[in-house]
Amino acid sequence: MNPKLDSAQLGVAVRISRIDWDRMSHDEGRRLREFGLMEGIEVTPLHRGSLFSRDPLALAIGRMQVIIRARQAAMIEVAPTAP
Amino acid sequence: MTAAIPTIALVGNPNAGKSSLFNALTGARQKIANYPGVTVERKAGHASFADGRPMSLVDLPGSYSLTPASPDEAVTRDVVLGRQAGERRPDALVVVVDAANLDNHLCFALELIALGLPTVVALNMLDLAERDGLTLDPAILSRELGVPVVPTVAVRKRGLTDLLAAVDGAILSHQTQATVQSAPPPSDAALHQRARAIARAATLSENPVRRWTQRVDAVLLHPVAGFLILLALMFVMFQGVYAWSEAPIGWIEGGVGALQGAVDIALPDGFLRGLIIEGILGGVGSVIVFLPQILILFLFILLLEATGYMTRAAFLMDGIMAKVGLSGRGFIPLLSSFACAVPGIMATRAIPDAKDRLTTILIAPLMTCSARLPVYTLIIGAFIPNTNVGGSPVGLQGLVLFGLYLSGIVGALVVALVLRRTVAKGTAAGFMMEMPRYQWPRLRDVGIALWQRAWIFLRRAGTIIFVTTIALWLLLSYPKVPTDSSESQVDYSVAGRIASGLEVVVAPIGFNHDIALALIPAMAAREVAVSALATANAIEAGDDEEAMAQSLSERLQGRWSIATALAFLAWFVFAPQCISTIAITRRETNGWKWPLFMVGYLFALAYAAAGITYWTAVAFGLG
Ligand SMILES: Nc1nc2c(ncn2[C@@H]2O[C@H](COP(=O)(O)OP(=O)(O)OP(=O)(O)O)[C@@H](O)[C@H]2O)c(=O)[nH]1
Ligand SMILES: [Mg+2]
Repeated sequence: MNPKLDSAQLGVAVRISRIDWDRMSHDEGRRLREFGLMEGIEVTPLHRGSLFSRDPLALAIGRMQVIIRARQAAMIEVAPTAP
Repeated sequence: MTAAIPTIALVGNPNAGKSSLFNALTGARQKIANYPGVTVERKAGHASFADGRPMSLVDLPGSYSLTPASPDEAVTRDVVLGRQAGERRPDALVVVVDAANLDNHLCFALELIALGLPTVVALNMLDLAERDGLTLDPAILSRELGVPVVPTVAVRKRGLTDLLAAVDGAILSHQTQATVQSAPPPSDAALHQRARAIARAATLSENPVRRWTQRVDAVLLHPVAGFLILLALMFVMFQGVYAWSEAPIGWIEGGVGALQGAVDIALPDGFLRGLIIEGILGGVGSVIVFLPQILILFLFILLLEATGYMTRAAFLMDGIMAKVGLSGRGFIPLLSSFACAVPGIMATRAIPDAKDRLTTILIAPLMTCSARLPVYTLIIGAFIPNTNVGGSPVGLQGLVLFGLYLSGIVGALVVALVLRRTVAKGTAAGFMMEMPRYQWPRLRDVGIALWQRAWIFLRRAGTIIFVTTIALWLLLSYPKVPTDSSESQVDYSVAGRIASGLEVVVAPIGFNHDIALALIPAMAAREVAVSALATANAIEAGDDEEAMAQSLSERLQGRWSIATALAFLAWFVFAPQCISTIAITRRETNGWKWPLFMVGYLFALAYAAAGITYWTAVAFGLG
């Protein structure tokens, strides 16, 4: 099974290989795409959770930083970026 | 049609600087802050072209596309597509994009340009793009997009003249060439690909993203340290509210006292002198003295908003908010409710999930708004010793205030938990939010916003608090107690008798006649509780020199037990005593159901909290 974004190492860029659009709601999927989270895009997970929680996850996409929940990140498969 | 004043709408992604541009062009003072979702309503203003022809400018909520995810974004779609009831479709669009984030902002820009309206792109925040090491070519961008592109720095009013000229030109040339091409909308992926390609073409040179903001975030968003810093910031805020306001409060008190003295000498004893000294100066003056504290509180909130820390706070709070079925997104309206619940409730429009939003609206009044400060401060000042906790620099009074704020927050979270399992049941709310870059607060903007708050506070004091206080003074002064009666004037008056009726209901939770008297007019606004106590006190003191010389808090010390005072504080943590909040809740939920529900549950909580506090305190011998 491919690694998912919710467990990806912080600070290391990864490439999105697949997103399980069917498992998320229509609106959720659209907002992810509006943020630019799509197959083939490179993202860097930056910060994860606070105090007693693994939620949420802050990512860098290009020059933008966005916050998503771990639940959504778990539907995003990632692969190492090409060296 | 050419004779009509053209309407020009500012559209774009959240936090692109639309409102800053709107303010710069119209001279308006729309709220500006460094987080997405600040503007939640359509707002129109007047501006003019270089030759003086007028135009109507419309500021809109930010959005990522024409498919809305939340109520505020729906407004943007409706205005742009001309679906807003009673509104003409705009004659031109100014698409505001963040120069440092073209990859993303050009997507919405492309969608808007495809509508075929006369369009100009404002390439805003060019200064930040430079700070981040980006060099852009507006000419290439313009060629690729097919519309004029004007570089702007909204907050420094740069590029405004060029922008207006370009808008003028776009409207003119659009009238001569009437071809509108309509292609099927591209897929999200195709749109993004095109946006990235254009951004790459327009980027002449690019340094790697600057790292200092990431180092700051490594600390501020640290799972443990970041959270402690957030708590520390809030703690400093409440200590500051006390520590830094002492001197200015003294000046205002001195001023009001001097005025009272002057009126006392200038006017003969009678109706007018009583009204001015006891009612107006005593009542309204007792509220105005809290202006410094309120401004200090606002200064903190404004700084948090302007720097971009607000979204970081939302990030840190999301874990806790998620446990009660809300999201970090809701933390922002809740934090602004510390200032006032009314704009806080308005700000919930940026929350996508309807149940999440409803719950946030219903708990917003539990956040300690600035109107509670006068009540808290008066009682804390009178009953909590002004000492430091065990030799530390932490003041006990500030600590109690912090505790009251914390009670409100904890109460809100518990209520949210219950609501999300009962009346506002629904799937777990999501949390997706863009995190803005850090910015230095702009002194001018902060200054203006502070001045606005001061003005709003003084206007409140001059209107709703003034009127309620005078009405109360009249009800307290008549009928006059007969000279041979042993009853006091206050007890004998109309208001006093009404209060005696209410006292029966609130006596079990430790409330005395003073409090019963203050509670009813405080329904209009919480601060009135303070002015009501002050007015009743002034009337009671009458011409008794010794009593007049005592301050309100000294008089309260003599009349209330500590248990009663604590119960009174607990009551105000929960009680929904604010007409404006009830009205805005009705408007935002489209009916009376939820505001009535809110008032009901809050009064029930207030009664229980005051009761429990009182009985506990009595058990500890403080009765
Ligand atoms: N450095 C810089 N900052 C800017 C510029 N324009 C706006 N800002 C800042 O960007 C932030 C957002 O500005 P707003 O005008 O509130 O943005 P908006 O597009 O109205 O945002 P929403 O109402 O949330 O959609 C504020 O902190 C502004 O001070 C600019 O040209 N340069
Ligand atoms: Mg705005």
